[in-house]
Amino acid sequence: MTDDPRIDPHEEIAELIRSVEAPAPEHLHERIREMTRAGAGAGERRSARVGALRLRLGAALTAVAAGVTALVLALAGGSGGAALSLADASAVTLRGATMAAPAESPSDRSDLNAAVDGVRFPYWGERFGWRSTGSRLDRVAGRSFRTVFYSDGRGHTVGYAIVAGSPALEVTGAGREEWRAGTLYRLGRVRGAEVVTWKRDGHLCIVAGRGVSGSTLLALASWHERASAA
Amino acid sequence: MHTLDPQSLTQHVDRLYRAAWALCGSREDAEDLVQETFARVLSRPRVVRGEDAHYLMRVLRNTFLTGRRTASRRPTTVAALEEVVAADPRPTSRPEQALEVQELYSKIAELPEDFRLALVAVDVLGLSYREASRALEVREATLTTRLFRARKQVSEKLGGKGTTPAESTQVVRAND
Repeated sequence: MTDDPRIDPHEEIAELIRSVEAPAPEHLHERIREMTRAGAGAGERRSARVGALRLRLGAALTAVAAGVTALVLALAGGSGGAALSLADASAVTLRGATMAAPAESPSDRSDLNAAVDGVRFPYWGERFGWRSTGSRLDRVAGRSFRTVFYSDGRGHTVGYAIVAGSPALEVTGAGREEWRAGTLYRLGRVRGAEVVTWKRDGHLCIVAGRGVSGSTLLALASWHERASAA
Repeated sequence: MHTLDPQSLTQHVDRLYRAAWALCGSREDAEDLVQETFARVLSRPRVVRGEDAHYLMRVLRNTFLTGRRTASRRPTTVAALEEVVAADPRPTSRPEQALEVQELYSKIAELPEDFRLALVAVDVLGLSYREASRALEVREATLTTRLFRARKQVSEKLGGKGTTPAESTQVVRAND
């Protein structure tokens, strides 16, 4: 055995593999460019925060160490961590249900009888034919995620998560942004699933599904805001 | 050691995409893996020792392994037509080559995980043995053995279809 590839009898295969020209698709390049722009911006903002923090540290020294720790957490955006990757945020919405589906709200035809901190899950059955089929509860990044699953009856399932606690967790890594009725929606793709994230009443919401287009998810996600506003 | 410059990462997208494709065996999964890898890297400032490409390979590998663990715990779903259509049209502008690349990468994707990672690091990403062994956190001798076996298995898989490695090389290049 040798580590010299020149006398590897299978060097032909290595050559074959090296000869492959398979550029990444342009839309992937574009997504990465968007992500790096966003990442660079976040880095600059973070540097500014760190700079401000150092000034405070210089002035206050060790007596304010505890306060500084709290400040760091606050500047980072909330209760420890405060940001999730798109993959982590959408993970639970792509798993299976572990509890029964909530029923339709007896008082509001646009809602289900389930909510997180008063933020209610939508009822899509009548308008779109997507019926709630199950739910689950998870704890991710120190926050409680409640997810309701909906099915269109043709084998497609969508998970809709509302994250408890305020301020809302931020999500990094989404590739595209869309505004609907004054709300910013971030769209991305994770391991074959389309994902949409946005905020409702200061709570992070995530909708994700496989075999369902991003535009369908966006329509489902944004309908409730419009229905509530109407 | 240096701080990773997010803007400089875009130059690695093509290489990472090929590596991801060879790891996953499908273009769609490769896109997701690359996107997830960059999302991880960009989630906070990174101080990197050595070349950016080695670091990216390590993150790609970790993201791939994490994804596989997650995937093994969830039910599989058949890709919908719209997902297939959503793939970039560029590779299909040269269908013969796209097919051959797909075939080659799918053979690589069938390899045992350790062999596959070694082959992707060295032959797809172009890392040296030393760089690859660091990125994959294995001894150089181990990497060499895995790489040898990986190439052998790919060679056999392609040869089993009546194509010798030398012929395969000619086929892919004929479409360049």
